[in-house]
Amino acid sequence: MVQIKDAALAYKILNGLICVYKPACVSVRQVQHKILTNLCRDLNDLPDRPQEKRVEIVGATNAPMKVKLLPNFADDPLVCGPRYIQKDFRCSWATHLGLFSSGILLLGINDGTKLTYLLNTARLTRAFKVHGQLGKATDTYFWNGRTMERSTYGHVSREKIDRIVANMQAAHQKTMYELSGLHIDSQTTYEMASQGLIRPANNKLPVVYGIKCIHFAPPNFTLEVQSVNEYDKYLWTLIHDLGVQLKSTAHCTGVQCIRHGKFDIPLALLRKHWTLEHILNNMDECRQLLEENENLLKPKSATLSV
Amino acid sequence: MNAIKLFVQRRYPSFLVYRTATTKKKIHDPREEEKLPIFQYPVSKSSDRRVYVWGLAETGALGIHMPRSKKTGKKSYRNNFTFVTYPKRSSFCERFDVTKIACGYGFTVAAVKTSEQHKVFGTGINTDSQIGYHAPRIGKPLEMLLSPAPIYIPYNSLETKITGLAAGRAHTLILTDNEGVYTLGNNAYGQCGRKINANEEYRGSMASHNIKRLGKEKIIDICCGQDHSLFITESGKVYSCGWGADGQTGLGTYENQGFPAAVKGDITSEKIVKVASTADCVLALNDKGELFGWGNSEYGQVPMATNQQQVNMSYALVKFTKGLGKIVDVAAGGSFCLICNEHGDAFVWGFGLLGLGPNVQHAKEPKQIPTPLFGRNEFNPEQMVTNVACGIGHLAAVTNNGDLYMWGRNRHGCLGLGHGKDQHFPLKISIGAHVLSVDCSVDHTIAMCQPFT
Repeated sequence: MVQIKDAALAYKILNGLICVYKPACVSVRQVQHKILTNLCRDLNDLPDRPQEKRVEIVGATNAPMKVKLLPNFADDPLVCGPRYIQKDFRCSWATHLGLFSSGILLLGINDGTKLTYLLNTARLTRAFKVHGQLGKATDTYFWNGRTMERSTYGHVSREKIDRIVANMQAAHQKTMYELSGLHIDSQTTYEMASQGLIRPANNKLPVVYGIKCIHFAPPNFTLEVQSVNEYDKYLWTLIHDLGVQLKSTAHCTGVQCIRHGKFDIPLALLRKHWTLEHILNNMDECRQLLEENENLLKPKSATLSV
Repeated sequence: MNAIKLFVQRRYPSFLVYRTATTKKKIHDPREEEKLPIFQYPVSKSSDRRVYVWGLAETGALGIHMPRSKKTGKKSYRNNFTFVTYPKRSSFCERFDVTKIACGYGFTVAAVKTSEQHKVFGTGINTDSQIGYHAPRIGKPLEMLLSPAPIYIPYNSLETKITGLAAGRAHTLILTDNEGVYTLGNNAYGQCGRKINANEEYRGSMASHNIKRLGKEKIIDICCGQDHSLFITESGKVYSCGWGADGQTGLGTYENQGFPAAVKGDITSEKIVKVASTADCVLALNDKGELFGWGNSEYGQVPMATNQQQVNMSYALVKFTKGLGKIVDVAAGGSFCLICNEHGDAFVWGFGLLGLGPNVQHAKEPKQIPTPLFGRNEFNPEQMVTNVACGIGHLAAVTNNGDLYMWGRNRHGCLGLGHGKDQHFPLKISIGAHVLSVDCSVDHTIAMCQPFT
């Protein structure tokens, strides 16, 4: 990584995608705001470009005039304010993460906003760890809701969860064909389906590709969900439905995104690392990842690749 | 005038109405939760079974028509459907512990776990008394039953258990644990295993025939084709009787056979564990996982070197299925065959909607149906096809995760996809239970399932 000497240079290379770890109970907008303020702070701390000079030509017009270079106070940070402010940055997210979800969030900065658009339309799968708790149902399906019902869960075993979860997963594969935008009687559909999974044509309805129970210690359990087009509330309802199918009740206690396409947890920047240096490093890593996997941005076929 | 009216209506000016509105979420008292009762939902036993039915309901074969209710007209039934295009839970099977179930052509028979007289129930078409004699008025036997009714069988002992059921076009076989096989229904070709009587009247017949043993051996499995019956004995011998015009009895002739006789050909020295037949082609599987076949081969179901279309003796299809591994389950449909091997791959050959896309109508060699269609993908690499079944024009496969996939001709909605259109590749059927086995016939399908919890 090159040493950053100049704020102007640093600003110039701040174009691209970064992968950050969003904490729970912090909204995506707050994350954005925090990152941009940190960037501005760090850029303003860097050695500034030389202050602009003001040219002053003085003297009588009928005699040789004097040209003087004077400091331009209009370019002084004390007059015009800090060099870099939030409005200088464009920033967008690839896929939204709900307020109570934590995990990987892809943000595009400046020209990276184009990348986030492409990532969004490529409909990459995201992997989630969805934590649930048996024995209680709430009105929001989440832990912060009001308790609506309590029930026993002694009969629930891991095998039962596995069976229901496998059934849910298989049921979603049927919706996958419906959402692929293909006519079910065509040869193309058959060929695509026999290759594997198909991406949805639009972002209207969630498609779950894989659900697996990865942790079970009653009353707590964790599901790993691989999906496209999902949103936090949808994942909460998955837990609720699972609870109903188990002849018990369940609510969600946490949602964590652990993978987005090829972007995974070790790549994600923690909140303490949301500084210019780390962001530039991260941007570089993300760029490398995107160069290695071209189909992340522009998938060639409708089959699910990542 | 209007102004006065308004003045009268609004007795209290709006600024006097005192109301507070807040968008802030109300914080609930955590002690509220403590007051809630703890529910205990009923949990099913591991022996509980759920039966789902779908297809043509007009014949009564689904047994979902409920006896007339008092409120509406005298002749009306509840659940008076013509077609059921989605899997529907059979209420009959909720009331009784159903152990075995079999689909015939427009009728269904179910065995119930009980030590009473009525162990087998039947519903659907009864033109040949294939589901017994049912006459509410003397001398007027019913030709169709819309809801399940018990079938009278003269058992020797009430402790007898039903271990197998099979149903053909118009006959039923009932296998018991120690009384052999009882046969009911049409015997015009000898499919009931008794003497063919050309003048016999099958409508309203009370006849049932008992085949105690075959070749001095106990019968352990039965299978019905269209108009023929197949029996497997303890040592793995196969006996057959019934219609033989296409060689489906495998007795070396094209004649009808009244009494069950041992099938000739390559299987005589083999231990057969399963036979499958829906129409007029028969597949058999031995204990080593090798395939044998006989019967109709017009579409190359049992390929012969001489282009013979009616194979009247069993032939080993070992060479034909070479490289497919050990075969675990077989099914023979109207014009095609479906098998699955120990690796969980399904293979199909013959003619029709084979599940190989709309462009493939005919396959001479066994062709593998792509495994991603059965849900095997990167997220679920262990999905395997473990059971297969065939109707006349539709096919079904059950996976180790209890998912049911169906495809083929969607006659009267028998695929259970919610519509009547044909399906060209396997598609998951939405059933909210773990599917254990599936039974197909001409126009209806029945799945035996286990509840999740």
